Amino acid sequence: MSSGSRRKSYSTSRGGLTEVADCVWEIAQTGGMRVPGRIYADEKLLPQILSDKGLEQVVNVAHLPGVVRYSLAMPDIHWGYGFPIGGVAATDPSEGGVVSPGGVGYDINCGVRLVASRMRREDVGDRIPDLINALFRDVPCGLGSSGAIGNLSQRDVRDVMAEGARWAVTRGYGTEADLDRTEDGGRLSSADPSTVGKRAVERGRSQVGTLGSGNHFIEVGFVDNVYDKARAAAFGLELGSVTLMIHSGSRGLGYQVCDDYLNVMQGAVSKYGIDLPDRQLACAPIESPEGKRYLAAMACAANYAWANRQVMMVLAKRSIAGVMKASEAELGLRLVYDVCHNIAKMERHKVGGGERLLCIHRKGATRAFPGEHDDVPDCYRSAGQPVLIPGDMGTYSFVSAGTFTALEDTFGSSCHGAGRVMSRSKARKMARGRNLADELRRKGVYVAAKGKATLAEEMPSAYKNVSDVVDVMERTGIARKVVRLKPLGVAKG
Amino acid sequence: MAERPHYTEIDHTADVGIELRSHDLVSAFEHTAACMFDLICRLDEIGSGWSRRVTVVGRRGDLEHLMVRWLSELLYLFTSSRILLSRFTIEELDVEGRGGMSESRIVALVHGERMDEDRHNVRVEIKAPTYHSLRIEETPEGWVVRIIFDT
Repeated sequence: MSSGSRRKSYSTSRGGLTEVADCVWEIAQTGGMRVPGRIYADEKLLPQILSDKGLEQVVNVAHLPGVVRYSLAMPDIHWGYGFPIGGVAATDPSEGGVVSPGGVGYDINCGVRLVASRMRREDVGDRIPDLINALFRDVPCGLGSSGAIGNLSQRDVRDVMAEGARWAVTRGYGTEADLDRTEDGGRLSSADPSTVGKRAVERGRSQVGTLGSGNHFIEVGFVDNVYDKARAAAFGLELGSVTLMIHSGSRGLGYQVCDDYLNVMQGAVSKYGIDLPDRQLACAPIESPEGKRYLAAMACAANYAWANRQVMMVLAKRSIAGVMKASEAELGLRLVYDVCHNIAKMERHKVGGGERLLCIHRKGATRAFPGEHDDVPDCYRSAGQPVLIPGDMGTYSFVSAGTFTALEDTFGSSCHGAGRVMSRSKARKMARGRNLADELRRKGVYVAAKGKATLAEEMPSAYKNVSDVVDVMERTGIARKVVRLKPLGVAKG
Repeated sequence: MAERPHYTEIDHTADVGIELRSHDLVSAFEHTAACMFDLICRLDEIGSGWSRRVTVVGRRGDLEHLMVRWLSELLYLFTSSRILLSRFTIEELDVEGRGGMSESRIVALVHGERMDEDRHNVRVEIKAPTYHSLRIEETPEGWVVRIIFDT
C-alpha cells in the first residue's frame, strides 16, 4: 500500500478506527479476522459511517477464507446484508479463497451506463417533461415490469445469458462500438447457462429491456462542471451538453440466481467447515464445484444485465430522437461507458511484488482501472476507465476516471454512488404530507415515477452528499474527478 | 380481506427489517409470511379467492434455513405469477425431520389473489428474505422473529 509510508503522520483514532493515511481509516485485525479492515472516508462522512452497522460488516467480511490484504469499504459505505454496500474484498483461490453470493448481492451486475450527446441544455430547455414522459412510456418500469421487446423463449434467455450485450447488438439493438464501451465488452465468458435454474430462466423471459423499481432510474441531465478538460474531451462530455444515465441490473433472473445459490452455499459452508459471523456471507471455495457453479451462474446473470441495459439504452435513444424530431446521429447520442457495481470477477492483481489471480467482490463498488490496463478500451488509453457515480435525484452525478492508485490500493475499485443515510421507512415518514415531485420540480428536476412510495424512499435527503463521497476518492487518488452532471429529469419505477 | 398483522419495522439503512411476536412456532411462520406480504401490499387490500397447497423443505434442524426457504417460496408465487398472498395455514411443520426424514418440512395452504394494479397499491419490491441478523427465538413471552428483507 502506498499509504504505508505516511502512517506516522496519521494517528487519529475514532470509534476503533485509526487514520493511516489521508482519508484512509483502518480497523485492526482482531479475533477471527484474517486481514484488517480499511475504510475510505473524511471527517464529514465519518460520523454517519460510525453510526450504522456497515463497519461491523467490514469486520465480518475480513473473516472470509482466503481474503487478501484488506476488507475494504468505499466512502459510500452503509449497512447492507452480508457485505456492506460499498464493500470490496479480494480472495485468492490458491489460498482456499471463497466466493460469496453475499458479496455480490441479489441484483447481480446492477450497474450504470452513461450516454453523451451533442444536444445543448438550451436545446432541450422546455422539452424535459416531454422527454421524461416519453422515456417513462417507452422503457417499461416499476415492480415486475415486463414486455419491452416481447416475451423470450427459454432458449432465447439462455442465449442472452451466454452472449450478454452482444445478444442485443446482433438483434439490432445497438452497435459493436457499444460493446467496446461496456465493461468486459458486456459479456463474461465464464457464463454457463446450464448452471442457472428453471425459475431464474422463467423470470428472465419477460424482463429484457425493463428498468424495475427501487433505486433504478433513467435520468436526463447535463454537464454542469468540468474538472479535467482533457479527460472530459476523451469521454465526449462537453460543458453544457445533455447526458442520459441508466441505472438497472439483472432483474428477477439475477435475484433468483442469488437466492438459489445462497441456498447451495448454506450446505457448502458446513461441507467445507467454514466458520462465518453472518450466514448471509455463506460461501464456497472458488475452486470447489459449488464455487465454480455459482461463478458460472453469476456470469449468466451479469450478461443478462448487460443485455438489459443495452436494450434499454436503444429504446431510450429512440424515444429521445422521437421527441426531438431528429435522428440519433444528428443528436450525437453515443455510449460513454457501462459499469457494473455488484459483481465478483476473476482479475489479475499485483500483491506483494507478484501477480495473482484473485476473485474481486464488488458490492456497491465500481471498477476503476487506469487507461493502460488491458481491460480498458483503446479510446480511453490516455484518460482511464470512466467511473460512473450517480448521486440522488435532486443534486448531482459524477464521472471520474480510474487510476493506478486504485489498482494498487483498492484492487482497482472506487465508490458507486452517494450511499444511503436514511432507512426507507424513515424516508417515507419524512415525506408524509409533502409533494416530493413538486419539490424536485422547483429545483429544476422533472420526475415521472410509478410509485409514490418509491419516490419518497429515494428522496434526496435519504442519501449522503455525493460530492463528499467523490471528493474522498479524488483526495486519495483512487478516481480522478472529470465532470459533474446536473439532473434535469428522472423516470423511475 | 385479511386483517393486517402486527409487527414493528426495524430501522435498516438500505433495506426493510421487521420484528414480530407469536405465541407458538407454527404461528410465527404464518405471521412472518403475513408480515412480508403486508410490507409488499397492505394485507387488508388483498382478497383470498385463490389458494394453493405449498410444500417447502429445508435443512434438518435448521429453523433459520426453513424460514428463509418458506418466505422465498411464497415470494416466488408473487414474482412469477403475481399472486399476492393474505392467509397462511400451516398444516404440517417438521423442523427435526421426524420419522427418519433427512429434511425439515412445511406443508401449508395459502390464500390470496392475483395482483390488480388498480386495486393493489404495491409499496415495496422485496427481492429476498436474508439471513443477516435473522433471529427466531423462543422467549418467555412467546416466539420472536426478526428478519431483514433485501429491497
